[in-house]
Amino acid sequence: MSHGSKSVRTISAEGLARVEGEGSLRVRVHDGLVTDVALEIFEPPRYFEALLLGRHFSEAPDITARICGICPVAYQMSACLAMEDACGVDVGERISALRRLLYCGEWIQSHALHVYLLHAPDFLGCADAVELAERDASTVQRGLDLKRVGNMIIEAVGGRSIHPVNVRVGGFYRAPDPSAIARLFEPLRRARDAALATVSWVSGFEFPEVEGQYRFVALRSPGRYAIDDGRPGSSGGLDLSPAQFSDLVVEEHVERSTALQATLGGNDHYLTGPLARYALNASMLPDVAREAARAAGLGDVCVNPFKSIIVRAVELVFACDEALRLVEAYEPPAAPSVDVAPRASVGTGATEAPRGLLLHQYEIDAEGTILRARIVPPTSQNQLTIEDDLRRVVEGGLELDDDDLQWRCEQAVRNHDPCISCAAHFLDLSVVRS
Amino acid sequence: MTRDDSPRVIVAGFGSADRGDDGVGPLVAARVATISSATRDVGPLSEPLDLLDYCDGVDLVVVVDAVRSNAKPGTVRVVEMNVEAGVDESEVDTLVDGVTSTHGIGLAGVLRLARAVGRAPTRLVVVGVEGEEFALGHELSPSVRAAVPEAVRLVLQLIAEVNVCA
Repeated sequence: MSHGSKSVRTISAEGLARVEGEGSLRVRVHDGLVTDVALEIFEPPRYFEALLLGRHFSEAPDITARICGICPVAYQMSACLAMEDACGVDVGERISALRRLLYCGEWIQSHALHVYLLHAPDFLGCADAVELAERDASTVQRGLDLKRVGNMIIEAVGGRSIHPVNVRVGGFYRAPDPSAIARLFEPLRRARDAALATVSWVSGFEFPEVEGQYRFVALRSPGRYAIDDGRPGSSGGLDLSPAQFSDLVVEEHVERSTALQATLGGNDHYLTGPLARYALNASMLPDVAREAARAAGLGDVCVNPFKSIIVRAVELVFACDEALRLVEAYEPPAAPSVDVAPRASVGTGATEAPRGLLLHQYEIDAEGTILRARIVPPTSQNQLTIEDDLRRVVEGGLELDDDDLQWRCEQAVRNHDPCISCAAHFLDLSVVRS
Repeated sequence: MTRDDSPRVIVAGFGSADRGDDGVGPLVAARVATISSATRDVGPLSEPLDLLDYCDGVDLVVVVDAVRSNAKPGTVRVVEMNVEAGVDESEVDTLVDGVTSTHGIGLAGVLRLARAVGRAPTRLVVVGVEGEEFALGHELSPSVRAAVPEAVRLVLQLIAEVNVCA
């Protein structure tokens, strides 16, 4: 919607589509300069933290999984790691490998959803995935097949593809039968080929020339591309334990938002997610993913946020390849879970959700009752950086007419695949020019 | 892909038990699945897109969801989605209100998407229950709880129609 006069110009959109959650976006432009960018979020985001208080520590994975329909595994995994950290438990290699396989499934389904159905339509001038499918059914079918393979993994390991039920603190309720895991092999081989085709496809899109100045934050894990564990690191040289990182992250309310916005130490904006993971860990990618990245024209670091779609596609290749490796190596653990006895303590867990680093911290008492809960989702960490991106995009796109600028802004938000239901929930967009 | 072991009827409850009356869809679907052995409950779902994994080769998809349409709370409505000719999206988008995200593809869009890629079910019907309370942390309101048996009966009736026709 557009209103125009000589002094004031307003652009607004009723709902920013293809972003998970509810919120709104407002941009003010005065004499050609962007004076205010605000990503507004409306829903009380800390309901789940409050809900956890007084509950038993073993309930945290299932309760927090309900925060997000797209990335429940991430919530389960960070909750498990935090509780196991509090209780001084190591689940061992086989359970960890199974968790990593489950997490690969979530990365595959979430990245396929975002690349094909939410983000690609932006680059191809389609209003949405439906229009894209009506124009190019076979490509969308490829994306849906990829997404389905991700869901197959989650179902095989997690017991159900939507909101998995097989995860518990200490491991799993039941270890999957080897034959069930072996059945994933052929679909995953096809999925890896489809992921490679995805990289080729998206690298042919036209990208706006925008360069962000990012402070990247991602987990690092020795010898591998971090997903399910690791130490938070940054492009500025940070190397912290999850607990130290939790101490450094400051979350603050701003008037326009009911969600908390995170900074490092109260000042520094930062970015988590695919661009950050790639910048910090690209050398850990398997050859097949690194070669795909090179062929797509990616360097060691990508600072064009619009090219995050290529990075996500490269991560799809990685997740399929990693899942194949884990499937081939699968041996059921001796027991599906290890015993976890509660003790009065504080525990912190961090994993890489598809959208970025997801931190959980809990204080429990000797009976395992949760006394304090802190959940720092990727979107609240990325929110200030998304606003920085928007400022750059608007400043560089003032020559665009209202509709095109609105399109570009929405695209800029989707670059980071925000899941605002994790931070809170609807998105409207308005741009005011004066 | 057609799954050899797929049931011909699926019931999908949309919504979240954490959001008051939004939880009615999964509750009804779960009850139906305990009564009808020929039916697979694929919920609880939060995204219409997730239906795509289950629609291919299916004779009937019943979506059960909470509704906000200014009707009396607890009112149960059945809306037939026209798989071949398209659907009245405005009506359906208004009716099916339990989906908590704005990924931009509502149920009507997902059906169009399914048609475009050749994965549409033969029939898709929405059973909507008018809700009144959707706030986080609330349970089903009494009026919606009282409507659950009627919603279950209507879903079972739809399933029986498929079996009669088969």
